[in-house]
Order: sequence, then structure tokens, then C-alpha cells
Amino acid sequence: MVNPVATALTERRLIVVTGKGGTGKTTVAAGLAVAAARSGHRVLAVEVGTKEAIPPLLDPAGPPVGYAGRTLAPGLTVMRIDPYAALAEYLVLQLGARFVVERVLANRGFRQMMNASPGWRDLITLGKIWHLERMEEAPGRPKFDLIVVDAPATGHSVAFLDVPRVVVSAVRAGPLRRHSQAVEDLIEDPERTLLLPVALAEELPTRETAELVATVREKLVIPMDRVVVNGVASAPFPPGLETLDDPLRRLPRDARFGALPPAGVIADCAGFLSARHTLNRGYERQIAELTGLPVVRLPFLLAGATDTEALAQLGEALLSPPEVAA
Amino acid sequence: MNSEQFARDLLGPDQLVVCVGCGGVGKTTLAVTLALEAARRGRRALVLSIDPARRLADAIGIDALDNVPRDLPRDALTELGVPEGGSLSAVMLDMKRTFDGLVERFAESPEARDRILENSIYQNVSEALSGSVEYSAMEKVYELWETGHHDLIVVDTPPAQHALDFLDAPQRLLEFLESRVVQMLIHPAFAASRFGFRIFQQSTRRVLQLLERVSGLSFLEDVSEFLLAFEGMSEGFRQRASDVRKLLLGPQSRFVLVTGPGRASLHQALEFRERLQEYGIDLAGVLANRTHRWPDGPADAPPPDLVCADEDIEALAAALEETCGSEFPSLDAARAAVATATDYAALVRRDVQATGELRQAVRETGSFWASIPELSEDVHDLAGLGRIGAAIFGEKA
Repeated sequence: MVNPVATALTERRLIVVTGKGGTGKTTVAAGLAVAAARSGHRVLAVEVGTKEAIPPLLDPAGPPVGYAGRTLAPGLTVMRIDPYAALAEYLVLQLGARFVVERVLANRGFRQMMNASPGWRDLITLGKIWHLERMEEAPGRPKFDLIVVDAPATGHSVAFLDVPRVVVSAVRAGPLRRHSQAVEDLIEDPERTLLLPVALAEELPTRETAELVATVREKLVIPMDRVVVNGVASAPFPPGLETLDDPLRRLPRDARFGALPPAGVIADCAGFLSARHTLNRGYERQIAELTGLPVVRLPFLLAGATDTEALAQLGEALLSPPEVAA
Repeated sequence: MNSEQFARDLLGPDQLVVCVGCGGVGKTTLAVTLALEAARRGRRALVLSIDPARRLADAIGIDALDNVPRDLPRDALTELGVPEGGSLSAVMLDMKRTFDGLVERFAESPEARDRILENSIYQNVSEALSGSVEYSAMEKVYELWETGHHDLIVVDTPPAQHALDFLDAPQRLLEFLESRVVQMLIHPAFAASRFGFRIFQQSTRRVLQLLERVSGLSFLEDVSEFLLAFEGMSEGFRQRASDVRKLLLGPQSRFVLVTGPGRASLHQALEFRERLQEYGIDLAGVLANRTHRWPDGPADAPPPDLVCADEDIEALAAALEETCGSEFPSLDAARAAVATATDYAALVRRDVQATGELRQAVRETGSFWASIPELSEDVHDLAGLGRIGAAIFGEKA
């Protein structure tokens, strides 16, 4: 188990963002990429799903970025790794027979069989990420300073990251073993790589995050040094008035003050926001306790982070050191 | 459609209720709520869940992933207003075990069964054959349905990458098994004799051999062995898959779509709805979970505009001072109180607007729509489920 002391995210080369559907994993990945690019790093954001989710946030009207990728903001390139495109690239590199490779990969029957074959998508995707990390603009100068991966949802991400290790232990010799070993070395290197789990401060996501962190520690060697807790409701009342919901509740519910809603309605609103805040902070503490990792808190945003500016703000909060100690 | 009509349509005898929707919107909680309501209407209801929240699972008495339905004790049922004859059971699905069970049932022989279960391709099959996870969930539903122990089953569908994988899964599995490349691997001699196959076969073999050379894995061998073993059971499997599909798309099935008020889940809900329509399925109802509602307002209504004149704030401050004493910073407190009301109103307004498109579409087709208010606490006990039930079906006397 490697848990390096939390250091600046932008000192890493590869950040793999994971979390359950609905936690805002993609938003966090996009925010991190935007903020890192704005602070002067050359960033590549990588999607691995079947649908592009980051490009619509940054360039709503634009065409898909695809395997070739596109620059969507100064210093920020976004691409989607299609396993078949990556397989074709790899096979052509290894074997040189482009014509045969392309014909066979385009064959429906071959695809059906590949669709049924386990693991290779994950391996080829990670292999491509490794390749991207190694790309150089000039000798000694990497093409990208930071690669942010929007990884598969929680359940699948452990299997995803485990594939190179499985291959290394199953294959004794040959190019595949060599390449898998290189990928494994990258994802296990605390200097270069970080797994960044994203959670919500609610019951189910808290449990799932604790399970994810435990499984990662048990099965993988990928470094983790913080958990992002997204959508945390901020304190509803200013300092000094933290318990305001209590006196509000003691007012007669039907008391009216001019055009304001009845006292009971105001008390309900205040009570709701106060309870939500308390609940969120409670789970946030639980996440820190259960995982033993410091927590980076991201605020609840009414409209969500749907444009580059909002993403950049979230990203800046991400780049600051963790707030809640484990 | 009003809530009583919805309940009668949805929770009739010998029905299957399928809850669909993306992950993280409270689908499991609502599935349990629907089953509970059915029990209160005298049904022997069963809810099948994939991965319930721990405390919710505890509340309904399931403590293990073991494929065995657990009954809620009679005294708990009585407290919940479930009459004699009504019951509520819950089962949590173990997908891998369900799929293994399928192999055990349809394998030609014990040897064939072991060959499949031990094959490395099979061991990864639940991940690899897209939709097989979803398929095994539906397979379990069919098995439980066939036992006839329950007269209403509510299914909490697994979160899927593609909206309705569980409907397509049996079909896709069969298509794969019957595909030319699979047949070719099983019967190379047969395939080779057919015109047009030879070139394909040669080039495929060549790439597979190259893959093996690069990988050092006995890729081809594993695949053919798996497929050979699987072929023997494909007849039984085909029949079963077709039965499962018939049940899901049959007249006894009702589909309920669960969504949250967030952009992503509503977007997916609209997609779900379209996809279901392609299958000729009309939604029985849509439940918009965790929407904010103005405290004294009706569901789905925008909040009132909050105008706050200085003298109103002062009046509220005076009332607070009366409650808390003159030490209390009452003017600041009054401003802060009104600010929270404004913040909460913004939440309500956002949800009413965000759900508008779907709500209108659902109402136009005459299906049921209910918004379930976001509660300030997690729902993890039977009382909480009761509150949700009341939001859908109205308060019970």
C-alpha cells in the first residue's frame, strides 16, 4: 500500500479519476484538466467510455473529438480512446501489415468475437495511455505535462487497472509481457500516477467509496492520496448564527411578516438546508475515517458546472491542498 | 392518471414491475416502496435488488447476496399496515451465481458443465459478453416468477452503460453464439467449404495467430473451447432467453421510470423513454425522485417570488428577539433566515424547470407522474419508505 503525502496534483503525470455514476466524476476530471491547463500545464484529458462526456462541457456545439483528439482550450487537448482504434494502431506498430490489420478489424465477425473476449479493451486502453505519457515533443520534453483520465465507473475501475498485472503474471515472455510490465510500472509509480476517487457525501456513495479504496489497497498498487467529496452543501447560516434553525422553529408556524412567507415555511427552508449541511459534513468525515485519506471538498453548485468558467473554479478548488484530515 | 389508477394498474395481481433509470437516483428505494405499497394492497410482493444501500437492506431484512428471498416478519408488516395475506419479501441478486446456475441447468453433461465453468473465457464472461450481467438479472426474475410464490415482483434493474441492456442482452448473447465467426471456430471444416468464407477465415486466422504471437496467450484455443462447450447448451439457452424476453415484453409487465432532478439523469430518462417506445413499451409512470418542493406548495409548482421589504425583515427580527431575548443579533438572523428561504426557493425553481420537459411529455401520453420530495435525511428505515409511499400514493387513513 502506497499512500504518499498529498502533494500538488499537477506534479503528477497521470491522474485517473474514478467514482460511481452520478458522483460528478466527469465534471471533476474536466475541472481538473481545465484548471491545470490554465495554470500553464499542457494537459490531455482522456475519455475511455463509449460516449464523449467532457467535450460537450467545453465545446457544446462542436463535433466529437474522437481518437485523434482536439484542442478545446489553450493547453488542453481532449481525446476518446476507442479500443479498436488503439488495437489497430498497436498491431500496425507491432506487425506492420496495415492492410490486413484494417481489413480484419473492420470485419463484423471478428468484432463479435473480440467483443466477447475479456480484458483486451482495458489493456489496450491503458497501453495507449502509457504511450501518450511517453510521447515527446522534443527529446527530453514530454508532449503532455499531465494526463487526466475519466476512468470507468467504480465497479469496473479496479478490473480496468488490474489488467496489466494479470497479464504480467500470466504471460512469461514476449512483447505483450514487456509492454504490460511498462504499463504496470507507470500506474504503480507514486511519483507519476495518482488514482483520484470521487464521492458524494451520502450513504451509498460513502460505502462504495470506502469499498473502492479498500479493494484498490488490497488488489492494486496504484497510489491514492486524497478523496474528492463532491456537491457538499455549504453552511446555511453565517458564523455566530449556526443554530438559527432552532429559534426559527419556535416561532408560531403561521406567523406572517408582511410579504415574507409564513414563519413555518421559512423555518422549513432553513431546517432543510441545515440538515443537509449536517448530513453532508457527517458523511464527509466518515469518508475520511473509512478511507484514512484526506478529503478535498467541492461545494454544491445549483446549476452544476456546465461551462468552462465553472469547471475552472471547481478545478482550482481541486488543485488546493485537501481540507479535511483523515 | 391519478395515483389510485396508477396503483391499480401497476400493482395488480400476477404482475411484474420493472424499475428503470440511471444509477444514483434512488431506484432501489422506490422499488422497495412500490413493493411495500403492493403488500399493503394484499399482494404477496417480492422486490429484487442488485445492490441496495446497507441500511435499507437491513430495514427490509436482507443481509446477504445469496439469491434467496427473505420475508419481512409479520409484526413489521402489521405495523406497516400490510393486511393478512399480504407479504413483502426481498432478494439481493448474486449475478455470477445466477449465470453459473444457468450453465449448470443447460449443460449437456457434467463434463461439459465443468469445461465451461473452468474456462478462462467463461470466467470473464460476465464482464466480457456485454449485457450478460443484465441478462442474469432478468434470468433470476424469470426463475422467481416461475415459482409462483409471489403474485407481484418488483425489479430494480442493474445500472447499465446502455439504457436497456437487459432487454437486448438475451438477443445479443444468442446472436453472438450464432454468428459466423463463432460457427467457424466451432466447425472450421464446415465453414471452409462455404464460398466466401475462405478469405475471411484466412485473414481472421492470420490476425488471431498474430495476436497469439504478440500476446503469448492461447487465445484461439480458449475461445474455441468455450464456444464448443457452450454450443451444446445453446438450444436450452435459446428457449430460455426467448421466454425471459417474452415475460419482460408481455402484458403482465409494467415499466416505471425513475429519475432525479439533475441534468444528467433527466437526459437519460428522456432517452430511456424513447428506447422503450421503440420496443412498443409505454411507461406506466415516471417517478421524479428527490425533487425540492416549496414547503407549503403543491408538487411541481414554482416557489413564490420572495420580496423582502426592510420593515418585513424588522418584523421577523422582532419576533426572533421575542423568542431568543434581546442579546440575540436578531436583524442579522432575520436576514440570514430570509437568505436560506431564497436559497431553498432557487432549488425548488431549478427542479421544477429541469423536470418540466419530461413531466409534460409524460402527462401528454396520459401516464402517471409523481415528484417525490427530497428529504433532508437518508431513507433507511421503513418509516422513511412510508413517507415516500405517501408522496406517490397519497396519505393512508
